[in-house]
Amino acid sequence: MPEQLPFDRIKVADFSWIMVGPTTAKYLADHGATVVRVETERPPDRLRAAGPFKDRLPGTNRSQFFGDFNTSKLSLSLNLKNPAAVAVARRLIAWADVYIESFTPGTVDDLGIGYETARALNPSIVMASTCLMGQSGPAAAFAGYGYHAGAIAGFYEILGWPDRAPSAPWVAYTDTIAPRFLAAAIMAALDHRRRTGAGTHIDAAQLEMAVQFLAPQIMDFNVSGRVVSRNGNRSDTMAPHGAFPCSGDDQWCAIAVESDKQWDALRGVLGDPVWGRDDRFRTAEGRLRYQDEIDRHLGQWTSGRSAQEVMHLLQSVGVPAGVVQRSSDLLRDPQLAHRNFFRYMDHPEMGNIPYSGHQFRIRGYESGPRSPAPLLGQHNELVLREILGMTDDEVTEVVAAGAIA
Amino acid sequence: MLSPYTVLDLTDDRGDLASMVLGDLGADVIKVEPPQGSSSRRMGPFLEDAPEAECSLHFFAFNRNKRGITLDLTREAGRRVLLRLVEKADFLIESARPGEMDEMGLGFDALRQINPRLVYVAITAFGQDGPYAGFAANDLTLAAMGGSMNLHGDPDRPPVRMTVPQVWLQASAEAAVAALTAHARMLRTGQAQFVDVSAQTAMVWTMMNAMVAHAIQGADFNRAGSMLQLGNITLPLVYECADGYLVLVLNGAALAKVVYWWVEDGIVAEEWIEAEDWPTHDVRVLQGKPVRYSLEEVVAAHQRYALGHSKQELLERGLREGVTIAAVNTVEDVARFRQLEERGYWLIAPLPDGRQVRVPGVFARLTETPMTVRRWAPKLGEHNEEILGATLGLSAQEIAAASGAAAP
Repeated sequence: MPEQLPFDRIKVADFSWIMVGPTTAKYLADHGATVVRVETERPPDRLRAAGPFKDRLPGTNRSQFFGDFNTSKLSLSLNLKNPAAVAVARRLIAWADVYIESFTPGTVDDLGIGYETARALNPSIVMASTCLMGQSGPAAAFAGYGYHAGAIAGFYEILGWPDRAPSAPWVAYTDTIAPRFLAAAIMAALDHRRRTGAGTHIDAAQLEMAVQFLAPQIMDFNVSGRVVSRNGNRSDTMAPHGAFPCSGDDQWCAIAVESDKQWDALRGVLGDPVWGRDDRFRTAEGRLRYQDEIDRHLGQWTSGRSAQEVMHLLQSVGVPAGVVQRSSDLLRDPQLAHRNFFRYMDHPEMGNIPYSGHQFRIRGYESGPRSPAPLLGQHNELVLREILGMTDDEVTEVVAAGAIA
Repeated sequence: MLSPYTVLDLTDDRGDLASMVLGDLGADVIKVEPPQGSSSRRMGPFLEDAPEAECSLHFFAFNRNKRGITLDLTREAGRRVLLRLVEKADFLIESARPGEMDEMGLGFDALRQINPRLVYVAITAFGQDGPYAGFAANDLTLAAMGGSMNLHGDPDRPPVRMTVPQVWLQASAEAAVAALTAHARMLRTGQAQFVDVSAQTAMVWTMMNAMVAHAIQGADFNRAGSMLQLGNITLPLVYECADGYLVLVLNGAALAKVVYWWVEDGIVAEEWIEAEDWPTHDVRVLQGKPVRYSLEEVVAAHQRYALGHSKQELLERGLREGVTIAAVNTVEDVARFRQLEERGYWLIAPLPDGRQVRVPGVFARLTETPMTVRRWAPKLGEHNEEILGATLGLSAQEIAAASGAAAP
């Protein structure tokens, strides 16, 4: 029986680039949709120019940053600055159920492929426009990355140490949040369209999606004036609660004791040391107050053991503990292996390489990437002839005009 | 958009946001809490610092667009009522430990008998099965196991998590996508769907280009404080300014403009403007080619300049002149950010104690099908009478037995 993938009748014109739009379209692509990723060589998607590169050799088709976020898609190279390309873009929009773009607000209107045009071409189109600040407002033109939006949304302030400056998340943090909200909105719009025939235009400001994750803290400021700030790994309610040094170079195990029962279990694993019997540590209140002392003792115990050993010893008595894992650890993590998380696929230039799978699994089919990320322009012929039904003459004409680049 | 659908939300603090996303998109969401209330009612921050069920801002923030009932699922009466609700539901979302729902006779295999088109979403730390499925876990340990922590913090100190817990929010937002994906498959196949959401893998996805890095380039990415790592150069992202911190990537395009700002303030000599081809400075640094002013000199100049200006002033100037400068905002700055104000992002919500507060509004604007907030978070058991009585037709006594109000 064919797999009957969730979105196998959905067609997507993905004009977006970098992170948020492409990741959103990837959800649809991996779960069955036909997604045409519209790119150009002038310049290529920034992710194609950012590592990791296969074997550290840079190249347009060698970045797995681009790869992981563009699986299961077809690639059409189309230089939208070329007038002949706009006609192709319009045919693609007429073909699609979903049209995603992430240009600076106003750009698609200037190009002649804005929502009004899209709706004229395709009355029930679901169009999503995503950018950092939204399509309107005084900062609409703010053209930055999730590195910037992460600071504006408040996440730098809550990362790092209280005695030091705010810390930048290593990733463009709002880019990790926005695609989940945007994908849900598009899927809901598609369901509405299926039932009513009506399309819609989604204005998805990455800032407004990310700020949802700090809603209680913003409300708290509005009510009490309290301003949340970074506090290392400390918790208001739990202690010990931190990353503890383990044997080896820069190896750590996170330990978070939630209850007195877990505290007793932890002491048991340590062999009931004398320091642990201290009455001051019996309650959460006491452990919070004297956690520097506890951290020192616990750190001495952990530093003589591997992070894996610390995790398994504590887990054996039900204490939350987890190795601070790197990419290399994840690639051999038995739980991720059990979930078939990394999918090895053959890429024309990068060879047999792993792609990240999905954080959710729908029973009954293998949820996750179906094909490797495309080379830039890999499917030009297929898209122009088979999907858009262009004749030989039409294809020759747009190629000669320089639009396919 | 999802107004024809009913969602049963059986989650605790690990899943509130999942059904809220569906509710914001129009679904009718029923929050099913145990008699003592969801664990998220015990999560701060609290109104007046009072750790009480109706004072949790965490619960209030993530349970809008839901009606609330209490059911004691440890008792037969409670379970029977849940089964009746399942008959009419389109989605059920839960965050119990793997196997727990089955033990109560409320697992997927039991519920699909009652509702053969149900979309059943389970949110757990590591997934329903596998070697770590039974592991004790929380925000800190999942940030570690999911690879996020290794990327955060200063190299001379331990790796850190974000101080405001993120893991279950990431997993819950993902669960909303999973629910709608599974719903699309139910429409294709006509059959009930089971979705297994793993918080660990939701966190792995927040590593972005670091997640498969080792297999691709033969080396891991590791925490680097606030340094942006680009090939063989590292560049600070965060600069201290007069009233806090700001974010700026000193690439060629930015340098070509801010060099004038430095000269204005007398930070550097006027000759700096002409002595360097600023738009290509970053590329030459990357390629190891000669530059008139080193990256260190450039960074130091900008640091001196920034100290003389406020973050809002530099953000505004950047906007005018096309230099992308972001303020490192506190929640106070976010609450006062003009862009959000003028976009009409904030809504006014009545707090359980009668006061009013500004809260984040819906997460996206849709032209033909606007998202709305139709109700605020329910008080504990607020809709027992409306849903169990008026809709299901239970008597007061039956409601009490099912919701755990009567003595066993």
